[in-house]
Amino acid sequence: MSERQRSLWAGTLLALVFAAPLAVLALQAFADSWRAPDALPADLGLRGFEVAFGRGGAKDALLNSLGIAIATTALCLVIGWPAARTLAGKGLAGRGWIMLLLALPLLMPPYLAGFGLTEWFIRLGIDGTLAGIVLSHVTFALPYAIIVLISGFGAELRRLEEMARASGATRIATLRWVTVPSLRPALAVAGMLAFLVSWSQYGTTLAIGAGRSTLPIVMLPFVRTDPQVAAALALLFLAPCVAALLAATRLGREAL
Amino acid sequence: MGLALSVRGLVVKRDERIILDRVSLELEAGERAALVGPSGAGKTTLLRAIAGLEAPVCGEIELGGADQLRLPPHKRRVAMVFQEPRLLPHLTVADNAAFPLRVAGVRVAEQRKAASERLAEVGLAGFGERRTAGLSGGEQQRVALARALCAEPRLLLLDEPFTSLEPGLREELRRLIAELQRERGLTTLIVTHDRSEAAEMGESVALMLGGRIVQHSDPREMFERPASREVADFFGVSNRLRMPNASPTAVWAIRPEHVVVGEGPHQARVVESTYRGVSVRLVLDWDGQRVEADVETGRAAPAGSKVFFELPRDRLWEIPSDGTI
Repeated sequence: MSERQRSLWAGTLLALVFAAPLAVLALQAFADSWRAPDALPADLGLRGFEVAFGRGGAKDALLNSLGIAIATTALCLVIGWPAARTLAGKGLAGRGWIMLLLALPLLMPPYLAGFGLTEWFIRLGIDGTLAGIVLSHVTFALPYAIIVLISGFGAELRRLEEMARASGATRIATLRWVTVPSLRPALAVAGMLAFLVSWSQYGTTLAIGAGRSTLPIVMLPFVRTDPQVAAALALLFLAPCVAALLAATRLGREAL
Repeated sequence: MGLALSVRGLVVKRDERIILDRVSLELEAGERAALVGPSGAGKTTLLRAIAGLEAPVCGEIELGGADQLRLPPHKRRVAMVFQEPRLLPHLTVADNAAFPLRVAGVRVAEQRKAASERLAEVGLAGFGERRTAGLSGGEQQRVALARALCAEPRLLLLDEPFTSLEPGLREELRRLIAELQRERGLTTLIVTHDRSEAAEMGESVALMLGGRIVQHSDPREMFERPASREVADFFGVSNRLRMPNASPTAVWAIRPEHVVVGEGPHQARVVESTYRGVSVRLVLDWDGQRVEADVETGRAAPAGSKVFFELPRDRLWEIPSDGTI
């Protein structure tokens, strides 16, 4: 078998491994009746989506999830930018410790972290609010955003910014013509990661949210009670992930 | 014409370490000067301070009589070519060259015109619409040069612009820079660590050692009339001698290539004879004094033999010194 053939086989196998569950999921979402021994559903229909948007409250959950994820992304980029810039600079004392502190929320179970945050959020009076949920998501998304952004703020960017300043560019012009265009791939990836981390948050939302619905929260109960509705919600859940991935790859490529 | 650049008593510190130690340097308008010195001497720092990229502790920097020290970098009429081309990868060659005009808010049509003219001058006519990534190292550095010219600076700073290039390309770019500089009468300060490049590129040469400028004069003077022992060392004036009929504390210097071997009033024993391609380096033992001499390959004498030699009067130079060799 040639090198090319072998990689083709490997690729096909990999694609199947990922595609098969997706196909089953899609089928399940539209299967109004699918009894145990049958290989394919007997009846296709939209009952799953009807229930999801009716009794399941998918609309509110979807809007909540989107709003929270977008706000989390924006906050992560705004906070992550200066933080990454500082952390990328050389000669910062205790850099390793700061990185460890940043990674800490990722090292413990989200529900636990969320539980701890609730205590504080109750005292601050923001528990159960959308702002509270956004803040709790930022705790988890920010480390990813910062780690990706650090790679954008390398020595090369500093060199280009210096060149711009010496070429007569003000600070604002340097930001506009050098920093932002150079950072675009890193910004795209960091934004995508922050969005997806927030989008798939379950434990924290449950702990902080005091009953506020997001997509994962309305989806999980259906997994045991009504698999078709769960599958329909899962498809909805997947859509922005695919969109974010496509957007990030396109943005990342344009800049190159 | 007067002074184009005047630096006085400039001190730059980094982490409490003194990088520039009361540096003073003056350039006449239209002068092309080379700043030479070993790496770590502070040459790049001086350039960066003049461009405003480094904040001095104290001192003065004037450009055409106007104080620059309190001006931010973008307000100084200085352009800098760095060691690396530092081109923006998301812009075309023409947009890179026109960058100083773009950030100055010049109209697009004028940007285009200026960029294509400057690109033609550096030998890159027709390259405007290309991406920078496909260019060779030499071409990229030419774009950087075109960009610097587009800024229409009062002072052009070049920080070892040839280091990343092959020797053949260096020669070409050196000639190009000298030519463009002459045509425009542009005051230019070029940094190099190579002493022959300094002699070739500089109408005047300033030697920087340990954060200070120790001598600033015309290149011939540097090579043959060093102001101190350190200067002599850097420029390869390796012979330091006591002369028989002179004061016993005076130290005399002469370049190895100026020692005439074959005939002359002095006699010495050849200690070493090293073939160097274009010449042979002889190390002579002259009654206990070490004399280095570069001779043509045909006139070399083997180690152990005795030779006559001469130290031409007009090539000998008494180094100001504390009396020790």
